[in-house]
Amino acid sequence: MRPRKLLLKSLVSASLVSAIALTGSMSLMAQDEEPIRIGIALAQTSNVALLGQEQVIGAEIAEDFFNELGGVNGRPIELVFQDTAGDEQGAINAFQTLINNDNVVGIVGPTLSQQAFASDPLAEQAGVPVLAPSNTARGIPEIGDYIARVSAPVAVVAPNAVRAALEQNPDIQNVAVFFAQNDAFSVSETGTFQETVTAMGLNLVTVQQFQTTDTDFTTQATNAIALEPDLVIISGLAADGGNLVRQLRELGYEGAIIGGNGLNTANIFPVCQAFCDGIMIAQAYSPLVDSEINNAFREAYTALQEKNPPQFSAQAFAGVQVFVEALIALDNEVGLETLELADLRTQLNAQILAGEYDTPLGVISFTSEGEINQGTFYVAQIDMAEDGTGQFVLIGTYEAEPMAEGTPEATPEMEATAEATAAS
Amino acid sequence: MSVQNLLNGLAMGGVYAIFALGYTLVFSVLGVINFAHGAIFTLGAYFTFTLIGSQFGFNGLFARAQLPFALPFALATVLGAVLAGLIGVLIERLAFQPLRRRGADPLLTLVSSLGVGIVIVNLIQYLVGAEAYSYPAAILAGLPPSVRFDLPGGLVIVRTVQILIFVVSMLIVALMSYFINYTKTGKALRAVSEDPVTASLLGINTDRLIVFTFFLSGFLGGIAGTLIAMSVGIPNPYFGTTFGLKGLAVIVLGGMGSIPGAVVGGLTLGIVEAIVPPELVAYKEAIAFALLFVMLLVRPQGLLGRPLIQKV
Repeated sequence: MRPRKLLLKSLVSASLVSAIALTGSMSLMAQDEEPIRIGIALAQTSNVALLGQEQVIGAEIAEDFFNELGGVNGRPIELVFQDTAGDEQGAINAFQTLINNDNVVGIVGPTLSQQAFASDPLAEQAGVPVLAPSNTARGIPEIGDYIARVSAPVAVVAPNAVRAALEQNPDIQNVAVFFAQNDAFSVSETGTFQETVTAMGLNLVTVQQFQTTDTDFTTQATNAIALEPDLVIISGLAADGGNLVRQLRELGYEGAIIGGNGLNTANIFPVCQAFCDGIMIAQAYSPLVDSEINNAFREAYTALQEKNPPQFSAQAFAGVQVFVEALIALDNEVGLETLELADLRTQLNAQILAGEYDTPLGVISFTSEGEINQGTFYVAQIDMAEDGTGQFVLIGTYEAEPMAEGTPEATPEMEATAEATAAS
Repeated sequence: MSVQNLLNGLAMGGVYAIFALGYTLVFSVLGVINFAHGAIFTLGAYFTFTLIGSQFGFNGLFARAQLPFALPFALATVLGAVLAGLIGVLIERLAFQPLRRRGADPLLTLVSSLGVGIVIVNLIQYLVGAEAYSYPAAILAGLPPSVRFDLPGGLVIVRTVQILIFVVSMLIVALMSYFINYTKTGKALRAVSEDPVTASLLGINTDRLIVFTFFLSGFLGGIAGTLIAMSVGIPNPYFGTTFGLKGLAVIVLGGMGSIPGAVVGGLTLGIVEAIVPPELVAYKEAIAFALLFVMLLVRPQGLLGRPLIQKV
């Protein structure tokens, strides 16, 4: 080869090699600083946002909180938000985008159990760990090996509300139950409430059904009031539940009211206004618990919102916290940079289930199925002031009964739904 | 059927009747269903909410927005209905007039109005979010929340706001009937609905009357929206759509184009829904449409409609 051509060739090769070396080292540096992406799939719009918005705030506080503490061994976390809106299709779309486009290591969400039965099977198929922050229906952890939850199931939480109601008024005898028959969580919760009512020797006078989309409950309310109940139990979501309470009170019902987890938000205050007063709600979180992490979380929340944090925010915070601490543990064990994304997701899932976490909800861990182990629960009662503002006042604290061996099995319908969705 | 069921049915029926009136008006004059009526109804409720100085929620372009003033509720309702009427006129200009000028098939007008309706409710969500809103309870200040009757068959309770809705609906129906039958404009409207070409040959300004019809229909829809929101709050921007579909059932039941028919149809539907047994309460809407289907088979002109006779 002629000398000039040889020189040119060497120069080109040398530049190529340097370029590759530079790019290689640049990408290594970028990897160290590249944030770890955690997906957040919550209802940021639609009526379900009455619940989802509190979760969004909790997650955002968690992002700042844990990044300030150093993230995952120096690497920051980045929460990627995808709006699920209020229905199953929205949740499916959000999950698909997070898993395939955003390449997240795991997902916190969705808001509703009804959505989870549709979207979680996708994450299961893709091998992406999901931490449900607020799915409390029966059968959620059983959807798959990658599905776990930080929200204690209705079977454990709901009965405490009935206990508290009886403590306030031991003369309660007749109970009327209302539930939204088109929502998986409400159907699950009402099952628990009805079992509890029967188990406590109370008289279940009627079970009335409605839809979460209903606005007029005159028929159901008058049917129930005619039977003179002392206690009404409502399993629905925020807007429908709030409206039902208002109409019951306007029609003259004066007895006690228990609201399920769907009414566990200050966002029902504008709906039932002064009529919200006195509603008892079983909760999986109390802002008053004195622990280091809860005090820090409460301070961060009150600095932003000027009021105590609600359960939905605390659970979303706990969801992010579990991911961060599991990532740290995994990084210490094997080093995250050695893992490809698919492998990382799988090992992260195993790490999540193996760990114990000191969260604002208390010290929690998971069963092998992904069900949460939580020690203490609470009951609050809504107190509405003259000026229309309201607050949840703690009226009782309950220790969890020891977990039975294994967790409640999924019903055949839920399994069929999960399979059908996975197949579609 | 108990007295309680009957009263529940009449209360709900009054709501359907007042909603169907606006529908019937446009249909009787133009021979088309205005599928945007549900959206106008929704707008009326939102306009009133804004005008009484309430604050919007955390979603939408106008998150946390609030007017710097607050009007008394009755005034806000009327003004809100006027605004809804103006939107009705706008819809006529956008969705109906261009197609009417071209002599297009009425089906196209129907589809066009459906499109406009969908755009409007989605625009509402975009602007102020989809959360639930309620009017402050103070608007019914001084009145007891419900009225109780001790009857031989048992205690019967009706919410005050439901009585209010029923009374207002019946009042509006009476006024509308008087207007249509005894005023000059009303007679002109009837002439246009009979035959627009002949009416215009006789010197009636059909275009202006059509605009007036849409304004009146929108005004009625706005009043209906506010009344219903007083009873059940504003659950989301799409709640008018369910009413829209049911309103269709009402006017078919009662007789399309007949104002008394809209009332009879509304009350009938309300009573039928109220006597549905508790276990089937989740299927109330299916029953409404089953009734519509049966009526179409048995008596297509509805309870009070005139059979269509085509002169050859």
